[in-house]
Amino acid sequence: MASIEFVHVTKSFDKHVVIKDLNLKIEDGKFTVLVGPSGCGKTTLMRMIAGLDPQTSGSVLIGGKDVSRVAPGQRGVAMVFQNYAIYPTMSVRENIEFGLKNNKVPKEERTRLVESISATVGLQDYLDRKPATLSGGQRQRVALARAMVKKPSVFLMDEPLSNLDAKLRVQMRVELIEMHKKLGTTFVYVTHDQVEAMSMADTIVLMNQGQIQQEAPPETIYHLPSNLFAAQFIGVPPMNVGDLGEDGVKFGFRPENAVLSAEPGDNHFSVRGIIVTREMLGSETIYQVRSARHSFMVKCTEDLFTVDQEVCLGVKPDKMFFFGADGKRIERDDARFDGYMKALRGLSHE
Amino acid sequence: MNNKPVWEAVRPYVMILPAMGGIILFVIYPVIYLVKLSFYKYNLMNASKSKFIGLDNFKQIFSREDFFSALLNTVLYTVGVVVLTMILSLLIAVWLNRKSRFNAIVQAGIFTPHIISIVSIALVWMWLMEPSHGLLNFLLKAIGLPTSQWLQSSSTAMISVIIVSVWQSIGYYTLIIVAALQSIPPTIYEAAALDNASKFKVFYKITLPLISPQLFFILIIMTIGSFKVFDTVKIMTGGGPNNATTTLVYYIYEFRTNSIGYASATGVVLMAIIALLTFVYFRLLASKVHYQ
Amino acid sequence: MRYISELRPVERTLGFVLKAVVLAVFVFPFLWMVSTSLQTFQETLAFPPTWIPAAPQWINFAEAMSAGPFLTYARNSVTVTLSVIALQLIVMIPAAYAFAKYKFAGKKALFAMVLLAFMIPGQVTFIPVYLMLADWGIIDTLLPQIIPFMSSAFGIFLLRQYFMQIPQEIIESARLDNASEFAIIRKIMIPMSMPALATIALFSFVSHWNDYFWPLVMTDSAGVRPLTMGIAVLRETEGISNWHIIMAGNVVLVVPILLVYAIASKHIVKAFVYSGIK
Repeated sequence: MASIEFVHVTKSFDKHVVIKDLNLKIEDGKFTVLVGPSGCGKTTLMRMIAGLDPQTSGSVLIGGKDVSRVAPGQRGVAMVFQNYAIYPTMSVRENIEFGLKNNKVPKEERTRLVESISATVGLQDYLDRKPATLSGGQRQRVALARAMVKKPSVFLMDEPLSNLDAKLRVQMRVELIEMHKKLGTTFVYVTHDQVEAMSMADTIVLMNQGQIQQEAPPETIYHLPSNLFAAQFIGVPPMNVGDLGEDGVKFGFRPENAVLSAEPGDNHFSVRGIIVTREMLGSETIYQVRSARHSFMVKCTEDLFTVDQEVCLGVKPDKMFFFGADGKRIERDDARFDGYMKALRGLSHE
Repeated sequence: MNNKPVWEAVRPYVMILPAMGGIILFVIYPVIYLVKLSFYKYNLMNASKSKFIGLDNFKQIFSREDFFSALLNTVLYTVGVVVLTMILSLLIAVWLNRKSRFNAIVQAGIFTPHIISIVSIALVWMWLMEPSHGLLNFLLKAIGLPTSQWLQSSSTAMISVIIVSVWQSIGYYTLIIVAALQSIPPTIYEAAALDNASKFKVFYKITLPLISPQLFFILIIMTIGSFKVFDTVKIMTGGGPNNATTTLVYYIYEFRTNSIGYASATGVVLMAIIALLTFVYFRLLASKVHYQ
Repeated sequence: MRYISELRPVERTLGFVLKAVVLAVFVFPFLWMVSTSLQTFQETLAFPPTWIPAAPQWINFAEAMSAGPFLTYARNSVTVTLSVIALQLIVMIPAAYAFAKYKFAGKKALFAMVLLAFMIPGQVTFIPVYLMLADWGIIDTLLPQIIPFMSSAFGIFLLRQYFMQIPQEIIESARLDNASEFAIIRKIMIPMSMPALATIALFSFVSHWNDYFWPLVMTDSAGVRPLTMGIAVLRETEGISNWHIIMAGNVVLVVPILLVYAIASKHIVKAFVYSGIK
């Protein structure tokens, strides 16, 4: 078990700077998810931990020890790749054993470890099969077993579920959470899927364009996004955002925090609009409401309206967010907050 | 631990060293050495008595009739082989293109001569072309056609050698063209069928342009390959009769022991010709990439 | 969009017959070679020709083989061919790996040099190579037929191509499994590239078993000559008209290649198509 630390880390590929002067501490034993749009640098960050693409400058510490000059195979990390990267010419057993053999683990010990790990992931009946004869889910398990058997102090996973079908993905998500609980090891998990991030993470590290946007537990990131990017990246559909028309400030609210009614209610923020689209998802319904100046998504638990119907959209004051011209969220105790709240009231009467 | 990055930086070079060493030692250096030799009157018995004679060897080459005769023979051979092989292999490939068991067997049969030693091919055909007891003349007689002296007459020797070379290489080029034909997506033909195009038009307007990169490529490697012809000539005719089949490489071969300098200079000329053809090849290759 | 019914039965039969004739044109000369090799001298002169010998003359083979040191020729052919393949593979695998998976300065230029070498034929370089090897004093050994072929440009090119298709993640995974680069090559790259290696080895086998020009210009004595040369001189030693003996020798030269072709025709065909298409 070990913590991971990035200290003033910069990474560039052929003079193209991808990550600049980044500092981050990933806590020991936590399930940390690096999430962000493609090209944001999350995979680069993970590969620096593994030592596959070492940083250009700065240092990476694992368990407090600078590993900048340590070869990938000696960092005590294991990694699960998106395409599993299973050795196709080796049997399942040989795949799982390969790392142990390279580390000169004696034969009896190896056999014992392989048997116990394969039982854990449910592969005991497949040990002598070639990977080509396995299903996608089973290959995924081989990749996990191969990582687990080395008893790594850090577990790295690069979008490990994205090649599975939707149903299996949900099931594996639960299994990974349980696996983390059981092993208690530091997990670092890279994904572009915010649902995966929200459902699995102890801590989410949200990245964009090589910079960390927010580092917080899922609840915090959802309820108190530190900036516009975080607000709009997390949540399905994303937070509704509109121009306040003052200082370049934007207001925002989550789709599920708006209330639709046929008659105007007494909400702080209230606009009239027409329902443009309706998506019925079963337990909830998502409407797109177009007002004079904006278009908002609204998530309702009841399916009461139809397309083309005129409705009133209202949001309670404690569900409103404001973001400054720099994109940062304006805190509730900020001096300007009440002013913006008043300005919002003005918008309501359009 | 500190010298690890050094090793990692050097490692690729160490790994390619044997391969590059082989290439430098047995290709690059010999080419330089060849050019050097071409400026000398080389003494095989005592290399120190070799004499630098400047461009004399080249002057000699371009003033000797036998060189031009060898060059002409090589060009004749090349044109004959290239034209015949190209037309025949294209025809056969289009004919055998459809995937079927029998077509595959025929293709494998046609290809077989290509993997057999030229020595065997040459001997079998010498026997077939034997003027008095050979099978070819027997067959010609049987169907009432005049017989031929084949390899033993200076007027038919070259065409006989060409026939053997074409026979040996058709299968190979057929395979390449078939591979090209089968890489054309069938939807294009389906679209053409819906547009009511005739078979001839489909071949001329669709098939031929689509495989033209491969045809260009074949054309060039065939030309380069034909320019180095030697084995067939050496075994079947020994350059004769009357030097009618002496080609460039055979010409160099004949001078290789007694006039090393002169043979080397001729080698330089051959290399220049091949380089020119290779240059054309690369130009075409560039247009091929562009084409795709 | 081609319908079977397009071809009437007559056309189909005609097509079949025509294909059979074409096939015969390419296969018959070899059958004729075998037939001749089993005929008596009188039978070879007969008119009309003897298609099938009255009694197979196996003695022709014995006679052909006694015309020269054929055991030595055969041993030389085998030694040279297998040594060339082994040497080429040893040299090519690390080079192909470096060209496929490492970044280093000058890589493009060095690889261009490999391709350039591919373009320069032995017919151009044989004189200087002979002089160089004579300087080294190894002309009277098998080495001149082996070491000049140590770097197979075609092999390096094809194997590099194959290595490049192996996902980088598999190699990275092995590095994380603490495998050395040598172990990665031995336990992952080589097992995964067996089809390519087989193709390259077969191509080398065919080319070097059949080679005639290079041994002709590199050898000065019978003791280091291969089968191709032994068979080629049969005509001189056996006299111009002893075709039954010459064909018997020829059969001996052809059979190993035909056997290999029968076993691995798919690989061989692929090898040759690759060597052409690149």
